[in-house]
Order: sequence, then structure tokens, then C-alpha cells
Amino acid sequence: MANMSKKWIVLCTAAIATVYAAGYWDTESQATIPNAAADDQVLQAASSEPSINNTYKDGIYSGTGMNRRGSIQVTITIEQDRIMDVEISDFAMHYSESDIVGLPDEVTQSQSATVDNVSGATYSTAAFEDAVQDALAQAAIH
Amino acid sequence: MDTLSKAKLAMDTVIRIKVVPGHHRLLQEAEERINRAFMVFRSIEQACSRFDVNSELMRACRETGRPVPISPRLFEPLKFALAMAEVTDGAFDPTVGLAQEELGFNRHYLTGETARSTADRLASFRDIVLNERDRTLFLRTPLVIDLGAVAKGFAIDLAASELKDFAGFMIDAGGDLYAGGLNERGELWQVGIRHPIYKHSCLQTLDISNQSICTSGGYERKSPLMKGVHHIIDPKSRRSPNEWISCSIIAPFAMMADAFSTAAFLMNAENGERLIEQAGISGIMMSSNFRIVNVGGI
Repeated sequence: MANMSKKWIVLCTAAIATVYAAGYWDTESQATIPNAAADDQVLQAASSEPSINNTYKDGIYSGTGMNRRGSIQVTITIEQDRIMDVEISDFAMHYSESDIVGLPDEVTQSQSATVDNVSGATYSTAAFEDAVQDALAQAAIH
Repeated sequence: MDTLSKAKLAMDTVIRIKVVPGHHRLLQEAEERINRAFMVFRSIEQACSRFDVNSELMRACRETGRPVPISPRLFEPLKFALAMAEVTDGAFDPTVGLAQEELGFNRHYLTGETARSTADRLASFRDIVLNERDRTLFLRTPLVIDLGAVAKGFAIDLAASELKDFAGFMIDAGGDLYAGGLNERGELWQVGIRHPIYKHSCLQTLDISNQSICTSGGYERKSPLMKGVHHIIDPKSRRSPNEWISCSIIAPFAMMADAFSTAAFLMNAENGERLIEQAGISGIMMSSNFRIVNVGGI
């Protein structure tokens, strides 16, 4: 029993150490672009897929959508045609306020006044869909 | 004491990170570390997403019959998933991805694009071969790997290691949590287990530090195509199991809590409880007849 328990902990510890040893965290933005391009070429050659047509213009876009609590805004960052970041604008970095101001029901419902946090089945991002679509529409290459 | 928090969307859920820096002069560093922690989520998502045809995972899944080199951020969670498949004799199986696609769990939460793969419906985890020395993945037959039960947990663990030097932090990935150190009042983090039916109340509350709690439940994500099916799918029957309504696991790592909560959800009571006990962790579960079951000394 003790050995079984240790096995899983060793697996987790080693997994974290291995990813850090690969050392790409700090150089991610520089490293991923050439690597991704090289990988794509290799895999495309093998699967003879058509060449990539960009979907989005690089940049930062904000979008607004409605949910049951009112409007919600997201800010999306696109780099190299990939969605790199989706920030909930009303919930940018903030200090010592209530954690859940401006977040939709899915998020607040899962919280309770008496505890720090609540664990539950993973809720989806459906409440943010309109805001995300609004931002992506601005980024789209027509 | 001051805290710092931020929320973003990643991995089809809301990721919220809160840090108790411990000292005012650490606020700036806390902000930088929080940003790095979010980068971890994005990076693991780009490697492991089943919903993005250009993710490292999906590109690798299109290669059958030859070894493909893969990065540690895909290799490691896949290795963990295969270990779990082995110990549960396939009750948990990461090749469930094709069945998930066919039941409508194939839409990218940001772009709305849908993934449709052609693969072998009889494939199992035994058709996946990881080579530890060469760090390669070899698929014996076309299949779709789903890392939904490990990748988010792994991202939480990596994010936690970015924040471990602060007095306290909480990472909440849509209901899967890791609580580090102490909260802003200098106490253990008090975490509730959500009641699957009365959503504003808790089944139980726990005081934890340096532990993760992850919950698997069928009450948030239903199949758009088939009644009675939710996002946790039995790889053999291709339907949702109904032994449990909710399974929460408390473990020292989020990848463990994440994978064991899904695995237990897929098993019958006897096997699920034994799995949790043998791993030396704890579980709080609600069975389909609304009985609350505590496993592993809680």
C-alpha cells in the first residue's frame, strides 16, 4: 500500500522536474515559433496537408458579451495566428477585493460566503462565448 | 494581509489564481509569478488539447506506425494517464477521445471549430507505446488521445511550483483546486465540496494546505447529441457511468487528484474505493442514490 502511494507521488514529482529541466519556460515566446514551424513542415510533408492560411491578424482585441448578470468583457491576444491569452477584463489584476466581482453565475454559483473556495465538476466557459466571439470577429481576416 | 488575484480563460474553463505574498514588497514579484503561472496553463493547453487540430497532441495523433518525438509537457501527463489505465485495467483509458468526439465533445471553446477524426474504434491504451529513452510516442493504430483527466491537474501542479515561495496561494481551475501555504488570515484554506444538486451548499468542508482537491461530476457538461450522456465517458460502453454523481479526491498533487477522481467515477463502488485507499489518498463521493461515501480517512 505504502509503495503504491509512493509510486504516484514519484510520477508527479518527476513529471514536474522533467518539464522544468527542458527549460523552455523562460524562452517560450522565442522558442515555440521556430519549433512549431519546423514541426509543421515535417508533419505536413508526411500528411500532405494544404499550407496554412492565417485566420487571425496578430494583435490585442477586446470583445463584449451579455450574460445574466450584465455585460462581460474579455481581452484576447493573438500571436502568430494563435490565441495566446484570454483575460477577463473586469477581472484584471486586482488587490484585496472580493474575488468574484464581475464574474458570471457559473463562477459565482460555485462559490460560497463561508469558505475560501469550492471544488466541483468543471464548469464551462459558455458564459463568455459571446464576448470571445466578438473579439475574434475583430481579429478575423476576411 | 493583501492578496493579489487574476482570472483568465484557459482549458475551456475559468482559471483564477490568488496569491498571499506575505510581505508588501513581494507584490511586484507576485504579479510576475501569477503571469508565469497563467503561461503554464496556456503552454500545457497548446501541447495537450484535443480540441485544437494544431496542438502537439493532435498532430502526434495523426501519425501511426512510426515513433514521433514529443515534448515533456505532453509526454509526462500521457505517461501518467497510461499508468492509471494500467492500474485500473482500462476502466480509465485515454484513448476515449474518439468516443468523446462522436458524442459531441469536440468543439473548441474559443474558435467554435469542431474536430472530427478518423480512427480505430477498437483501439485501447495498449496501442500507445511511450519510449522513455527516446522520448517518443508510437501509435499501433489510429486513435484519439484525451488527456482531459490529467492535463489540467498537471498544469495546476506546474503553476503551483511557480508560486510556492509565497506565504499562500490558491489556484482554482474551474473547480479543481490547489491550495498552497495559508490564506490571507494566516489560516488553513477552507475548501468546500460542492453539492451536486443544491449548488449553493456544500457536501462537506475541509481545511487544507499544500494539497489539491479535484472533483469529477456529470452535472456540468452534457452531451449535445445524446440524452443522459455527460463528458465522463466509459471507454468500453461509450456511455456515461452512473455509479456516482460526484467524486472528489484530496491528494498532494493536482494531477493525482484529477486522474483519480475521473478513474473512481468510472469504476464501481468497491473497485473505486480500493483504488483510492491503495494510493494512500482520500475521497468524498456521492453515489447515485445520494449516499455520501468518505474513503481513506477523512
